[in-house]
Amino acid sequence: MDAVLDTSAERFTPASERAEALFQEHLFEVHRRADIMFAILMAVQWVFGVVLSLVVSPWAWEGKVRSVHVHVYAAVILGGLLSGLPIAMVMRRPGWVANRYVIAVSQMLWSALLIHLTGGRIETHFHVFVSLAFLSFYRDWRVLVPATIVVAADHLIRGLLWPESVYGILFPEWWRFLEHAFWVLFEDIVLVFACLNGAAELRAATERRAQVEILSEIDRTKTEELATALEALEKSQEARMRTEKLAAVGQLAASVGHELRNPLAAVRNAATYVQRRVTDPRFAGQPASADPKVAEFMQLMLRELDASSKIIADLLDFARERKPAMNPCPLHPLVQEALTVIPQIGVRVVNEVPEDLPVPSLDKDQFRQILVNLIQNGMEAASGKPDAQVIVRAEGGGGRAPWVIRIIDNGTGMPREVLEKIFQPLYTTKVKGTGLGLAVVWNVVHAHKATIEAKSEEGKGSQFIIALPAAAGAAAAE
Amino acid sequence: MRILLVDDEKSLLLTLAANLELDGFDVTTAESGQHALDLFETSHFDLVLSDIRMPGMNGVELFRAIRAKRPDFPVILMTAFALEGMVKDAIAEGVFTVLPKPFDVSHVVSALTTALKAPVVLVVDGETDAASAVELLHGAGVRAMHGTGADQVLAEVRGGRVDVCVVDLELSATSAPDLIDRIKKEDPTIAQIAIAGHDVAAVMRRAAASGVFLCLQKPVTAESLVEAVAKARARSRATATAR
Repeated sequence: MDAVLDTSAERFTPASERAEALFQEHLFEVHRRADIMFAILMAVQWVFGVVLSLVVSPWAWEGKVRSVHVHVYAAVILGGLLSGLPIAMVMRRPGWVANRYVIAVSQMLWSALLIHLTGGRIETHFHVFVSLAFLSFYRDWRVLVPATIVVAADHLIRGLLWPESVYGILFPEWWRFLEHAFWVLFEDIVLVFACLNGAAELRAATERRAQVEILSEIDRTKTEELATALEALEKSQEARMRTEKLAAVGQLAASVGHELRNPLAAVRNAATYVQRRVTDPRFAGQPASADPKVAEFMQLMLRELDASSKIIADLLDFARERKPAMNPCPLHPLVQEALTVIPQIGVRVVNEVPEDLPVPSLDKDQFRQILVNLIQNGMEAASGKPDAQVIVRAEGGGGRAPWVIRIIDNGTGMPREVLEKIFQPLYTTKVKGTGLGLAVVWNVVHAHKATIEAKSEEGKGSQFIIALPAAAGAAAAE
Repeated sequence: MRILLVDDEKSLLLTLAANLELDGFDVTTAESGQHALDLFETSHFDLVLSDIRMPGMNGVELFRAIRAKRPDFPVILMTAFALEGMVKDAIAEGVFTVLPKPFDVSHVVSALTTALKAPVVLVVDGETDAASAVELLHGAGVRAMHGTGADQVLAEVRGGRVDVCVVDLELSATSAPDLIDRIKKEDPTIAQIAIAGHDVAAVMRRAAASGVFLCLQKPVTAESLVEAVAKARARSRATATAR
């Protein structure tokens, strides 16, 4: 079995390896989704930026002339560049590592642009914080680094060179930059933790999934291998049974052939004798009837032919496992009927089956056959004893009680080793005999869902006990 | 001629005995090997014809017991089994022949008649080989003699004691197929066994065509030679009785 069924886990991909693969797969999916989200956001921001520049910026801090201000061009062209590059990259290769860094930078530059377009309104500064939060969707803290650098650089440089553009006033306090930087760093710290936590959770989840997957893979493989092994076993068993059956058939043929040859040889000799007695010119004038041997041999031929028929009938009984045709059949007359077909050999047979016994349901022909076989065996075992007899008894059958039928002889009995084998086909202790009689009995008894048991005591006799289940009488119960 | 017929099958015993009596044999019957051995020790018989499969002492055991007392005594066995180990042993030990059941009465009669004549197997061969073949047969308790030269062989055949001829197809002096034909002409009831060398397919075919009973290929073992002789003796000899 070991050779066939290897259930050790070594054959399977290790869980850690599978978990890593799953983790990478999930992470990529996270990146891809974030990429797409940002691509859409970029497009929306661009439209928003253009609208904003058209509606707000002309009045914000230079709003004396309503005209297409340079800010509108800035929004259209700069915004277009800021959004166009990441969108193009995401469309070309969603999930790619470079995307998120480009997106981080773009997003921060968008913040700068929006801040500039609104003239440093505090609301647009929130854009920075929201963008950082969005970037943390990548669950990759490294993305926050370029974003932070960009936002810091922007604030620092523009704060120095063009403070209006950042803070909306010409002379901001010196700590303005530090205030902004503090808040950005604070958010960064929170987001880095969030990213690390998110990644760790994802890893834990994928590890669990990998375990489950591998376990179920082992299970499935095990089940498949078991099924294969079972199938192979069934096949080999079938083949062995066929071989055994063929061997049994061969043995049966040899045994039956041998049994038939002896009566055939005798018949042939007898026929030859009668023929010669009739045709040989030496016996001209002497009628064949004057030779007592002629009549004797005719008788002998009939007897031997009957014996041959019996052997063939046994064989057919054995070969034909007919399903019993169950009919109500009283036992006393059945035993009586069996007795009429058994040749007398000087052994008394007593039918002690009560005539008023409840009537079981059984196959009359088959059951008579097994009674004949069992009674005949008993008679042969007892023959030669001065008080040789076979008794047939039956009891039970009322209500739920099974019928118990006993065939008891006071013959030679059987030793244990014989008793163990008597129901096997071809097993025989007789010099003449095919070893089929009790095998037929066994088959018939089991076809009736009944049981048979043999008890024996050497020198004292044997008894065969058939127990016919109460259900067998159901059809007959009135 | 007194025959002791042994079989546990009463029907066969009765009918075969009756037939043999019609043929003029004096038949005594026994239903067991032990009974037969008792009779053998107390009365005179010329031949024992016994079944092999019997309860108690079987036919082969009976044959051995008889051989132990009278090494030359002819015993014929009968069996309903085509081939069994016991048959092989019996043949190797020199039982005259084994007859398969059921058989024709005339077949038994011809086997009995031949056996009662205490026939001899004539081995025709180059000097040394022939001697060893004769020894092989003797070793198995089969009467055998050695013939050299066509004239001596034919003289023996004419003598009437020979029932089987074993002819080596590689004879140097005489042409073997010729000799086979001449023996057959002299006595058609003689069974001829040809022994072929290594490259004699054509000669073998010629021999088979001229009615050789069996061809053996060299090297011939004692077992196969003795078995061939027993088979030749068991063959139906309608021609022999018709003579």
